[in-house]
Amino acid sequence: MVVTFPHLGNTYIACKIMFDSLGIDYVIPPLSNKEALRIGAFHSPDEICLPFKIMIGNYIQSIEKGADTVIIVGSCGPCRLGEYCELQMSVLKNLGYQVKFIVVDYPGEIGIKELASRIGYISNQSHKKKIEKLRALYRAVKAIRLMDYIEQSARMIAGYEINRGECKRLLLQCRDRVFNESDPSKALKILKSYKAKLSKIPIDKKRKPLKIAIVGEIYTNIESFANHFIEDTLMDYGIATYKSLSPSWWLKYTGLKVLKLHAVRARLAAKQYLKYEVGAYAKETVGEAVLAYERGYDGIIHLLPVGCMPEIVSKSILTSIAKEKDIPIMTLLFDEMTGEAGYLTRIEAFIDLLERRRRDHVLSWR
Amino acid sequence: MIVGLPKGLLFHQYEKFITEFLKVLQIDYIISKDTNKDILNLGVKYCVDEACLPIKIFHGHVASIKDRCDLVIVPRIVSVHEKEFICPKFNGLPEMILHNIPNMPAITTKPLYLYSEKKTLAWLEDFGSMLNKNKNQVREAYIRGKEIYDRQKLGYNDKRYRRRVLLVGHPYNIDDIYMNMNIKKKLNDLGVGVMTHHYVRDKDKQKEVDKLYKRPFWTFARHTYGSCVYLGRTQQVDGIIYLSSFNCGIDSIFIQLIKNELKDFPLLVVKIDEHTGEAGLNTRLEAYTDMLERKKKNGSNFPASREHLYSM
Ligand code: SF4
Ligand code: SF4
Repeated sequence: MVVTFPHLGNTYIACKIMFDSLGIDYVIPPLSNKEALRIGAFHSPDEICLPFKIMIGNYIQSIEKGADTVIIVGSCGPCRLGEYCELQMSVLKNLGYQVKFIVVDYPGEIGIKELASRIGYISNQSHKKKIEKLRALYRAVKAIRLMDYIEQSARMIAGYEINRGECKRLLLQCRDRVFNESDPSKALKILKSYKAKLSKIPIDKKRKPLKIAIVGEIYTNIESFANHFIEDTLMDYGIATYKSLSPSWWLKYTGLKVLKLHAVRARLAAKQYLKYEVGAYAKETVGEAVLAYERGYDGIIHLLPVGCMPEIVSKSILTSIAKEKDIPIMTLLFDEMTGEAGYLTRIEAFIDLLERRRRDHVLSWR
Repeated sequence: MIVGLPKGLLFHQYEKFITEFLKVLQIDYIISKDTNKDILNLGVKYCVDEACLPIKIFHGHVASIKDRCDLVIVPRIVSVHEKEFICPKFNGLPEMILHNIPNMPAITTKPLYLYSEKKTLAWLEDFGSMLNKNKNQVREAYIRGKEIYDRQKLGYNDKRYRRRVLLVGHPYNIDDIYMNMNIKKKLNDLGVGVMTHHYVRDKDKQKEVDKLYKRPFWTFARHTYGSCVYLGRTQQVDGIIYLSSFNCGIDSIFIQLIKNELKDFPLLVVKIDEHTGEAGLNTRLEAYTDMLERKKKNGSNFPASREHLYSM
């Protein structure tokens, strides 16, 4: 068995550490790229949302490198993500690929037994002792939390750094180095060392950089390729960005959901606009937008794939939030046709707007 | 107190119930007109661009009556079947309406779970309290409404036509004859009878659905998939027409699953949006019926056209 999985932000780093520890063969798909998207879009129905297409591209590029088993997480609606696996299997089968899918679904849907058997199937491929398997899992969770922390901090500190570009360089370097380390405990050490390095980056605390919060559909938020690396772009402009969604956020969310303690703050903040569950993470989108306003952010960028169902609901609500709270919100929609040029112009225009608002504010305040 | 009933989305399915319910309670109500150009334009004007046509049309219906009533029913129908859903957009319908259309009167916002009598009643009681009606009055009206509702027969099953097709799609795509340009009549005029999933036994649908890896959690998709694959496999109809709208996330998955399953069976996908023209549809339907005829004449080996209609 050679496993693979679709990309989602930094998860591949944690997966690598886990499979290395377990001694399971794996293929990490080439980082999401234009070719993957082209392949994916070609073999997927036109109107399916972007994540589906990139994922198909990931699978096919992995299969070509020898993978024969796909691991993905599921959900039970109401959004499309829950049906992804069904159609992805069908698409790959029609293309003549012989791959097995292991869908890690919520136990509430498939039953604890079935879930245990699906996870057991993966775990049985490893000849390690039970305690080592647990350690593998522990390491993976630790790694993703460290990596997400490093990324989140770097993106925020970028607004304050004295040497332009230092945060970004550090972040890229860190990713590169852990990824090329096949000894899991060394990989963790690397992550820790970068966490330390990050805290030593010289910053100018008196600077008041523009602060932007990024919210929206989870995949386009986390998988940077899908959003044309928007955060990197913002970093280049010296903007401090904050985004709550990340793989470790998702882990925590999914774990706490059982206790109904998931994303408490965002969900509370969403309440005045949206009391009920819509699907996927629309409620969190609304909540995060309100929080960003309360925390004094200059603007919000809302990301979603074209045709995304739950985020259309949040988009309607965000329009009101922008008006009522007087905070600029820009919506960016993505599909395989999204071009580079128009997209950059929009971001620049948005930044201009935020800067202008700041200046006007200062003036009127005096 | 005047209650407004927008004639969009699942209204046709529950029209009999809700009107009887309001009559028994002696509440005045108005129903928006059948979908027409003005309603469509209103919907396009107010709704977010990226939404699907049925949601836009619903916006139009609401906007067309909002100034003439005190309370609009904007049903947040989360589910009509246990452990299943309709669509995320249904779950957020009241929010979309409130935030997209200015100066709205009061609307209903509580979620509706129609598979459970208890939950349905709880919703109605809450609704009744907005109308100053007590629980007993609501219960009585519910029983009367349900009687009538249960007696109605939904769907079509045309007999005595040369050819017969299964017409599938979300109920509102089939019910709204302005939106679908009365496709049923067009087909009938071409000598094609129409049947809907209502006339396929649940048992038969379920057999096909059970072959899926995962239990589908969208009710309409389950009916659609089950009836298409069952009738297609057993060749009990000459063809299938799938009425869909652009930007429907659910159809984007299930149309493909059905295609992959039925391979060469004559499946015509008709996707509609606000720019769809009638002439294009006519041509497509004529070509499609011609193809069905040819196929019949040449035996079932004749390859069906796999061309699909996206924009007309
Ligand atoms: S949340 Fe949006 S992008 Fe994600 S599966 Fe649902 S429709 Fe697709
Ligand atoms: S099911 Fe499709 S057509 Fe119906 S509201 Fe949802 S997206 Fe729109």
